[in-house]
This record gives sequence, structure tokens and C-alpha cells, in this order.
Amino acid sequence: MSRRRIALLLGVLVVATFVTSSTVTAAGDDVGAFSQKKTVTRENVDAFGNASTVDSQDVTLEVDHTKNLQGRERVQVSWSGARASAGRATNPYGENGLAQEYPMVILQCRGRDDSSLSAGKRLSPETCWTSSRQQRSQVADTSAAVWRLDPFATEADRGQVSGVSKVPAGCSSPGADSSLHLTPFKAANGKVYPACSNDTMPPEAAIDGAFPPAEQAAYTGVDGKGETSFEVRSSIENESLGCNESTPCSIVAVPIMGTSCARGTGDLADTNGPCRAKGQFAPGSSNFSGLGVDDAVSPLYWWAESNWRNRISVPITFGASPNVCNVLDSRAPVGFYGTELMSQAALQWAPAYCLRKDRFRFQHNVQPDQASFTLMEQKEAPGAFVSGAQEDAGEDNGSPEYAPTAVTGFAVSYVMDRPDNAGEDSDLKLNARLIAKLLTQSYPASAFGKDHPGLGDNPLSINQDPEFKALNPGLDSIAREAAAVIMSLSESSDVVKAISQYIATDPEASAFIAGKADPWGMTVNPSYKDISLPVSEWPLLDEFIPVMKDDCLKANNDTPYLPRLAAPVTSFRKIAEAVLDAWPLAQTRCTGIGTDLSPYVLGRSERQGVGARMLLGVTTLGDAERFGLRTASLQTSQIPPGGTFSSAAGRTFVGPTRAGMAAAVKTAEQAKRGAPFTLDMEKVRRSKGAYPGTLIVYTAARTAGLEKSTARTVAGFVRTATTEGQRPGSGNGFLPSGYLPITRAGTTAALFTSAQQVAADIEGQVGETATQAPADTSAGIGGPGTDALTDAAATGDDAATDDAPKQATSDQLESLGSTASLTSTLAAWALPLLVLLGLAAGLAGPAMRVLAARRRLR
Amino acid sequence: MNLSGTHARRRSAGGRSALSALGMIALSITVLLASERPADAAYAQIEGSGSTWSKLIVDQWISDVSANGIKVVFTGNGSSAGRRAFAAGTSDFGITEVPYQGSGAQGGDDPPPKNRSFAYLPIVAGGTAFTYQVRVNGKQVKNLRLSGETIAKIFTNKITNWNDPAITKDNNGTKLPSLQIIPVHRSDGSGTTAQFTTWLNSEYSSLWKPFFGRSGITSYYPSKGRSIGANGSDQVMNTISAAQGNGTIGYVEYAYPVRKSYPVVKVLNKAGYFVEPTQYNVAVALTKARLNQDLTQNLTGVYRGDDSRTYPLSSYSYMLLPTGAKDKRMSTSRRQSLADFMFYSLCEGQSKAGKFGYSPLPLNLVQAGFDQLGKLKKADKNVNLENRSVTQCNNPTFVAGNLKANKLAQVAPKPADCDKLGAGPCTTGTGAAPTSVSDAKNGGGAAGGTGPDGGDDAASGGAEVDPDTGLPVGSAAQGGGAASVAVQTELVAGRAGDDKVFGALAVAELLAIVVAPGLVAVYLSRRTRRRTGTPA
Repeated sequence: MSRRRIALLLGVLVVATFVTSSTVTAAGDDVGAFSQKKTVTRENVDAFGNASTVDSQDVTLEVDHTKNLQGRERVQVSWSGARASAGRATNPYGENGLAQEYPMVILQCRGRDDSSLSAGKRLSPETCWTSSRQQRSQVADTSAAVWRLDPFATEADRGQVSGVSKVPAGCSSPGADSSLHLTPFKAANGKVYPACSNDTMPPEAAIDGAFPPAEQAAYTGVDGKGETSFEVRSSIENESLGCNESTPCSIVAVPIMGTSCARGTGDLADTNGPCRAKGQFAPGSSNFSGLGVDDAVSPLYWWAESNWRNRISVPITFGASPNVCNVLDSRAPVGFYGTELMSQAALQWAPAYCLRKDRFRFQHNVQPDQASFTLMEQKEAPGAFVSGAQEDAGEDNGSPEYAPTAVTGFAVSYVMDRPDNAGEDSDLKLNARLIAKLLTQSYPASAFGKDHPGLGDNPLSINQDPEFKALNPGLDSIAREAAAVIMSLSESSDVVKAISQYIATDPEASAFIAGKADPWGMTVNPSYKDISLPVSEWPLLDEFIPVMKDDCLKANNDTPYLPRLAAPVTSFRKIAEAVLDAWPLAQTRCTGIGTDLSPYVLGRSERQGVGARMLLGVTTLGDAERFGLRTASLQTSQIPPGGTFSSAAGRTFVGPTRAGMAAAVKTAEQAKRGAPFTLDMEKVRRSKGAYPGTLIVYTAARTAGLEKSTARTVAGFVRTATTEGQRPGSGNGFLPSGYLPITRAGTTAALFTSAQQVAADIEGQVGETATQAPADTSAGIGGPGTDALTDAAATGDDAATDDAPKQATSDQLESLGSTASLTSTLAAWALPLLVLLGLAAGLAGPAMRVLAARRRLR
Repeated sequence: MNLSGTHARRRSAGGRSALSALGMIALSITVLLASERPADAAYAQIEGSGSTWSKLIVDQWISDVSANGIKVVFTGNGSSAGRRAFAAGTSDFGITEVPYQGSGAQGGDDPPPKNRSFAYLPIVAGGTAFTYQVRVNGKQVKNLRLSGETIAKIFTNKITNWNDPAITKDNNGTKLPSLQIIPVHRSDGSGTTAQFTTWLNSEYSSLWKPFFGRSGITSYYPSKGRSIGANGSDQVMNTISAAQGNGTIGYVEYAYPVRKSYPVVKVLNKAGYFVEPTQYNVAVALTKARLNQDLTQNLTGVYRGDDSRTYPLSSYSYMLLPTGAKDKRMSTSRRQSLADFMFYSLCEGQSKAGKFGYSPLPLNLVQAGFDQLGKLKKADKNVNLENRSVTQCNNPTFVAGNLKANKLAQVAPKPADCDKLGAGPCTTGTGAAPTSVSDAKNGGGAAGGTGPDGGDDAASGGAEVDPDTGLPVGSAAQGGGAASVAVQTELVAGRAGDDKVFGALAVAELLAIVVAPGLVAVYLSRRTRRRTGTPA
């Protein structure tokens, strides 16, 4: 009787600790789209005191969403009716954007443009972020200091020193004939940075900071329209700017019309003087070599009142930062291992586990699919995230089953600018042959590759290829090294396998690899001819060493050229960031001067200039969505190799949409309960609407030999991930963009059902009890070919591989070791847990007695 | 002028006060419910750059702590660049394998920061591995072994062909075909290069000095002869594993070949065994590391370690931690990010080091690291370091109650007999990062266990360790003949008080067990009496 009471009481105690915190729900319908129209002017006063409006424009500015923003989120800013820009810079961001004429300056500022607010809550040039001091502070010959004639500025702002009451310590005073204007930066914590030198800027403005500048001087086309995506920064990324849930901020757009000019004396006020300058460049032109511009119409003086008064301010709000796990959480983490395809989902899921006491601390460790699967089979990891069937590691593998956990895939992400400042290409189409050409390094890329036997007649890079031009008309044909390759992964991955399957199932692409020229005569790089596909790891096969005429390259000793161009890396994330920053991974840039102290060094290429970007990379769909990368549509129709073509007509292309992924999942088949579904590329392609880059990610786990608690944890994870974890949204526990939700009904129902079956199998540990692995498992570790060294020694002595049975004496140590990470975790907790249990029991004793006593009293 | 924008502003301004009132209520409820959440321990993003040697595990830690709301951005551009950026004050932290080298280093000066106080914080251990591509009749050799001297001669262009008698001797008479050796070195300023040249300079100075032109270490490997320069560890791996790579050999942290399942050289140690840089062998080796007062490493003892399990090129990687109270880049929230990022990484983060191809820090170094983190609090009293101690680490590689012991070094299996100088070679492959003792043993060549001594029962000798001294109990004399025991990493500055932490904890728990029930009983019965009106 009393025992049952204790159980009851303990039960209540346990339930009481299951209090959960509320999760942030997905953003509502009102995203805060913004639109405002404003008449902006440039007004000069001539020598006789006559005021005239020399230019007037009706600018309409729109922003697609402004509410509940998160740090590094991008909003789409577009405008019309603005004065056409001129002299486009290769890079519009930060100080690089200064050498342009009539751009749209877009900044993030702390505060709001609302005169009813107290001064401290209003925005001003001093609360607007710039990443360099050049954008804030100027010293100029007084004869060129156009701001001193600004008719809209206060008297004080037209003095020799302006922006500050006196020259701050650490800044130098202007000479007798010079003028100084400072626009100090006021940080959120009240600190004021004079911004007269790099050392007097806030810390987030460091040169070569981790993030490129967000503020930009964007380009308006000759039609008066312009568009750009603007990245907002929260107080987490930019503490000095300090925008967050409780600190309102704004995006401020300043259409540069040119500084207005008052009556004055001297050269400055001359009719043809710097103050009234109208620009050096023609509307719509470029200034890629960074020539000088007329300062009066450049973004340099965005803070001058005659420019600043033309601003349009867009109020923005930041969402509450989601609840996060506590670093002091003392539960041991449960570390799943596996594919990077899960990374974005895992980031959002993790807090939904740690924030609940009845769950566990979820971690996702990124490792190649097969390696993770092996760790799981060896009980080094409770589960593995893989996107296809894997090879069993040995006989004691615990009969693993595959629970579908996410539907996602890979994307060919890209950034490509249309020529003549006509904006970015947003509709790239690729077929398998083009991807094959990139992966097989069949574009010679530059004069170095031209000498490559068999490549001499091929187009230098993809944008010179008639096939690419047929599918993607309107791009330039300027050869670029970076456009001759596709950035990809260096290690083994099911994604690489899927890409190579896509190529292998394409008649045109497989004929190309087999040596058949494309209709325009381009042939495969002989190093990759007849490569057997699919492969999980794309090999670097090219061995051609160009005859170097360049001292720097010569000093780097005869290394093959094309592999340096491909330069694959160990993570998809790195590729996504390379596309985002338009910064090729190619290792072909030479630095140094060839001395002992400064030897010639080959390193990473330089970033591409905006207006001339052309870069392709394989990324995960999750990363592509997270970073807002553009993704290519892939051809699904299988067309036999034939004659030339000049458009995409007759070919079907599917992009990585939810519909595209759903159509792919529809073709998936499962051989038996617990087995992975087969996404047969042939079938995917025959279903014309299916996206070929779709992949199903599984949680693979043992169904035998797992400890009960671990089995329960993994089963619980699968159930949560396939229910709660499939709600689309950006909050804790939700499914991010780039994934197709798995649901109880509909296209993904079979996946859902299978996941629940596998969860039951894992929890019940229904798999065949593992037989003790035979003694000769070690013989399989190396596999054939590992003993080449022994083979080579035909006369070798006693290196015979005698598979000696394991000795009994070693058993103890082995069992200790093979389960180390799991059992010892438990062991580490067992004592404190027992102690706590003892304590609880001890406490319960008197409590029961008292309860009983009270009852008696009643 | 269109006023829709103004309207929108008004509306939102009006609505905001109501909203914020609601928000306050919601917030207070959330605080009540989610007591787990640190009281807005506002983290600000931190940025760092440097080493690619330790990047693979650092990247994983960064991804782990993002669940805690800590945003860390790390750029792997080489240790030299990391030290430079930190000295210039353009990063919040740096990661490097070697300390600042001062002026006159090849490839430019390497002066420590002028106006920035900092501390060296060890973050993870690992082995600098030699990965290679050598094919015999098209088949890839995966069990190559080399002595230190042979390696030194290869990288100083004294041995230039794989059929060299020295290589044949290292492999117990098995001769490789004639194939030119192409050493691959890092072209950027690299901590891996610095580690490797430290070893060359210390152990093979007669080969290194004439090659380098002087004695000393460098972060920029001299490019001479047939060698190839590659930028970053990723590109070293690409160069070696490419089709053209037959004959190449290069140096990278063990994690890189492990990620690619690529073979590594088993390196001869002073005990006469060829070993792989597994987490076990690195742990054993580093028990002979001597740490200076500022925690920088002196590895001579590691290079010459006479335990049969020692991997000679084992070392630690470091974070450069800004400790000045007036550091220009630091704020409370950035210091808090640094503190909690490292609290996680040094503590629990170490437990996954082995699976990634690294080796966990021993507990006393973790404690020493925590002491360095304490300087953040000293610089800024608002930094919260409460309840962050080594007793919190969920880390099975720590030996509870013995700060100085390293469990991995205790359980590390002995190398197989076929790995012995003059025996073998073992036929099993390398580069698999064994994460269990049995795998480590099998990987070492259980299949080839037909050496003269037979049997591997001695392997268990290392498992039994006196919990007080950290010394093996009656450990069997091992292969090399020398007294080979795994002892603790000795810090120059003694830390006698460390064990008190655990002692105090144990005492507190014990007291709680004994006293708490009684106290509760007394309290409850008093309360009951009060309520029911029973006199005391």
C-alpha cells in the first residue's frame, strides 16, 4: 500500500519536472511589406541668388518583408523612378562602392525616423552603420569640400570642422586650407567612435572581418529601376549597431541626386566647380577599373543634408531570438553522426530537444555517410544520418534499419551576372552533359589548359560553350577560370554518388564521357574518358602539367593545373559560402616575389566583381535556402545524343521546389520493412516533374544489441523528427526551408509509415541477436589491395596473413573498449544517479510518514 | 508625397506599447517556465582565424554551440595568418599550433601583439600524420612504415626514390618499386609546418640545418627540389590523392586522411615500434609533454618517448585568448561567448575528438585551460563563469577523481608484434581512426599476429592504473625493453589544489545524503504540526 504511494509520489515529482517552455511559432502572415513614394530633388542657388531645382525624381521604394527578421536575413529591396546610376563598381559594398555615380545608398541604422520620438530613439547618420571610416569622414581641400556649400546644412555643418564640436583626441586637425567633416558612430552602448581612422572605428568594422560589409551603393538601371538583396545584422552579429527585438531599427535608402549647392565664393562655387558637378560617366556605364568619379554625385556624401533629406526610411523589427540550450545542461549529449544534408535541420531541431527535460541533448556530428554508418554499427554512435543504403561493417552489425527522417537533396547553386549591368541571372538551366563537362574538367579554363592534349579545341569555360548558351541565352562569353569548374566535395558522400548517377543515366552525358563529342565538337578530358560511374568520391584524375612561362608557376614545380582549379573541399558549407561571397575556391592565384622571405605562393583566387560574377557550386538544399543562393534547374528528359540545338525547347527542366521533391519521392520504392527506399534515377527522370537532386535522409540504427535506454532514445528521436520536426517554419524544432515535410498522408506517407515501423523495431530491438563476430573480422578491415606492400615483395618472408583467432585474454579489454563511449557515459552517471535516487528515497520516507500521519489525523 | 509609410509607422508605434506590455508578461512567464535559459546571457558573435590543423574538430564544436545561441565564425587560413590577425586586433581569437615566433621568421615577422594581452589556451591534441600515395602495380600501399630519420631525409631531399634502401629497411625488407618521391608541403604560413619543422630541428638538426640554411623552425616550408606546395590542409590532401599524386607524401593532422580513408605512415618511436597517430598513441605520447608557465608546449620528451605506444609527432593546438580588460574588440557578451564556447569545447567537446581523428586533452590541461578562461572574468566582472568547472564535463575520457590521469593513455593497446622494428610489416591498412581499444589493436595488425613473441596478452597491461598515482600497477615490461609507462602530463606550475574540487564535491554529496532526509523530515513534521495545530 505505502509502496504504491511512494511510486505515485515519485511519479508526480517526475511529471512536475516535465514542464516545457513555449516554442517560438512560425512567423505570421503579416511580413510587413513596405512601399513608399517620395519626390527627391537637387536644388542649386546660382551666383545671383536664384534657386532652381536642377533635378527631381519620384522614387518608389519597396521592401518585400520587414518584420520578425533574424540576424543575417536578407530582404529584397527594389525601387523605381530613381535617377540612373553611372560608373558601376565591381563591388558595391562598403568603401568599394564609393567610386560610382548616382547610386542608391542603402544602410542599416539604429532608431526610427519619427519626429515624435525622443532624440535618442531617432535615427541619424551617426546611428547608421558603415564598415569603413572612408564612408563617414572626409578631409578635403576647402576648394573641393562641397559639403561646405550645402544650402540645407546648418551653419555649424558648413564650418571648417564639422560633424563634431571640436576635433576629437586621436584625430588630426585639418590644415589651414583643408576642411574636415566627421560622422562619428554612436554605438548602442552609448560609446561614440570618432571614425576618423581605422583605429577609431567600432570593432565590427575591422578590415577583413568575417562578414563582408552589408551596406551598399546599389545600381539603378537606365530605366530608373533597381533591385538588390540587403542583409540585416542583429546585435548578435553587430553589437555596436545593436539592433534586436527591443531596439527598433530601420533600413535607410538614400537616392544620391548630387549635393545641392548654395551661393558662395571661389572655385568651389563656380558654375563648373566641384559642387555642381554632374558626373563623369554615362548612365548605365561601368567603372570596373575604379577610375575617379565626381564626388558631388558619388555616395561619398550620403550624410550631407542635401542627400540625407532625400532618404526613405523603412522601419524593421527583429524577431525574438529563439530559446537556446543552456551550456550548463548536465545531460550527456546524444551524438548522431552523418551527412551534411541534415545540418540546417539539425541546427533548428537541437533546441527543441535540449529545452525539454523529458528529452535529451541532440547533436549532429558531420561525417561522411559510410563512415557514420560504420560508427553506428560499431555502437560508437547511436544512429547515423545517411542518404542511401550503406555497406555493413562486419557481421556484428545489429541488423540496422533505415528510418526516413528528412527529404532534401543537393543543388547546383550559382551566381551569374548578366552583361551590361542588367542584373543577375535567375533562371539557370543545366543538363547532365554540362555538369559532366564541368566535373570532368573538360574546359581548359585558360591559356595554361589550352595546351592540354585533347582540350585545345574545347571552349575555355562554360559560358563560351554553345550548349550552355543555347540553354541560357544572354550571358557574356568572357572566359573565366572559375566558370570552367564546379566547386564540389573532396570526400565521400551520397550526394556525389547521386550526381554521378544523374550523369550516368543521361544518354547525352554518358555518350560524352564515353568519348563521343557533343554536337559542337567538344570532347571529354581524356583523363576522365570512360570513368566508371556512379562514384561516392569524385577523383582528381587530370595529370596535365602546362609548360609554365610564368616564373611564379614555374617555382611551384610542375603541379597539374586543372586539379588546382577544381580544388574540392571537405564541406558543402564552405562551397555555399564561396558562392555567397562570389569567391572561387580555385588555388591558382600567385603571390610573392620569389625571394626567400617572400617566396612565390599559389593560393586562393580573388573574389569576383559584382557585374561580372560567374560561379557554380554543389551545395545542400538547406544551405542554399539558408543563404538565399540561386539554384539551377536540372534537365530531366533523357534525350539521345543528336545534332546541335539553339534553345531549351523540347527539354524539361525541374528546379529544387517542394513539388519537384515530392514528385521524386513518389517514384521511391522499398524492398522490405526497414530497408531504405530506392530513388532510382531512371524513374525519377521519367517522371518529368521530379527534381533529380532529391535525396531521402535516413536515421540508420541497430535493431539488435543496443542498450534499452539508447534504443528508446533513438526511437523517440525518429518519432519526434517525423512528426513535430516536419512542421515547416523557422522556429525551434521546425523544419527549415530546403526540406520537404514528411507527413502522415500524401506523397510522403510511405516514408512516414516506414519511419514509425523502424522506430518500433529499434525500440523493441527486434533484429536478429548478433552472433559474436567470427575471429577473422580483422581480415576484412583492409579489404583487397591493402596488402600491396606485401604483394610487391614476391619474395617476402613470413608476412603470411595468418588469421589467428582472438585470444580469450583480450576479450575483457575489447568489450570494454568497443562500447566505451556508450557504456562509460552511463557509468559516469550511474553513481550520481544512484546517489540522487537514494536522496529522493530518503526524502520520500519522512514525507510519506507525514502524509500518512496527516491522513490519520483527518 | 505618399504617406503610407508614415501610417504604417504610427500604427506600429501605437501597437508596440500594447505589444511590449504583452511581451513583458510573456517574458516573465517564459522566465518562470524556462528556468533553463541563461538569464539573457547575451552572446555576441565572435570571429577568429588560423589553423587548418585543428579546423575539422573546431568546426564541429562551432556547430554544436550554435544550439546554445553562441555564434562563432572561424576562417581556416593557416596559423600564421591567424596569429597576424589576432596581433593586428582584427579578430576576437586566433588558433595556432605554435606560439608567436618573434621577428626574423621566414615569410615575414611574427611579433606578438603589441597592445593586446592574451593567453595561450590548449584546445585539442593530435598527431601530425604523413599521408601518401604509393601504388604498386596499380594497387595502393596502405601499410607503409618509416623511421623518423627516413622521413627527415625525404623532406630534406636526401632520399628521393621509394626504392631507397632505408625505406626497404624500415619495412623489414619489403622493397618498393622505383618511383620518385614527391614531398608535398604547405605553401601558406602553417602551424602544421611549424610543428613538423620543430620536430626536424630538434631530432634531425644535422639534416634540417643545411636544408633550411640555419637552425630553427619555420611556418613556411622551404620549397626546394621536387617538392610541391599546397595551400591549406584540404589542398595537401587533394594534391596527394589526385591521380597525379602517385609518389607523393605530405604532412597533415590525422583527421584529414581519416575523413578520406587515406593511409598514413606508421612512424618509428624510440621503443622500436612503428605506430599510427590514433587518439590512444597520441595520448600516450603527450604524457611526456612539458608545458611552460604560459602553457606553451615543449615536446622534446614526446619526440623521444620510450613507451611502445608513443606517436612521436604528437602535439597540442592552441587558442589565442584576449585577456586584457581594455581589449578593443571585447565586450561582456563577446567574452561570454568565448568563455562558453571554450567551456563546451574543452569539457564535453573533447569526448568526440577521437572520432574526428584527434585526441582529447587530459583533464589537468582542461583545468589549466579553465584557469586561462578565468582571466576573462578578471578582465570583466560581468562575465559569468559560475558552475563552469571540470566536474561538469560529460567526458568519458576523463578519469573521475584523478585530475592527472589520462584514461586513453591508460587503456591504449600495445602495438602488434608485426609493428616492431625488424618484424612484420603488419598487413592491415591505416587511416581509420579507431575509436575503440579493440579497433585500435586490430588496426595495429591483429591479422599479422605471428611475430616472434606471439600473443597480445600484454596489451591489457596498460589498463590497470593506480588511481592515486596515475601509474600502471605492475605494468609488464613492454616491447622496447625500456621502462615504458604512461605518466601524467606534468605542468611546470604545480597544481596541488585541483583534487580538492572533487573531494569537496564528494563530501558535499555524502553530507546531503546523510543530513537532508532528516532535515526534510523535521521540516515536514513541523509544518504538519503547524497546520493541524498540534503543539510542538
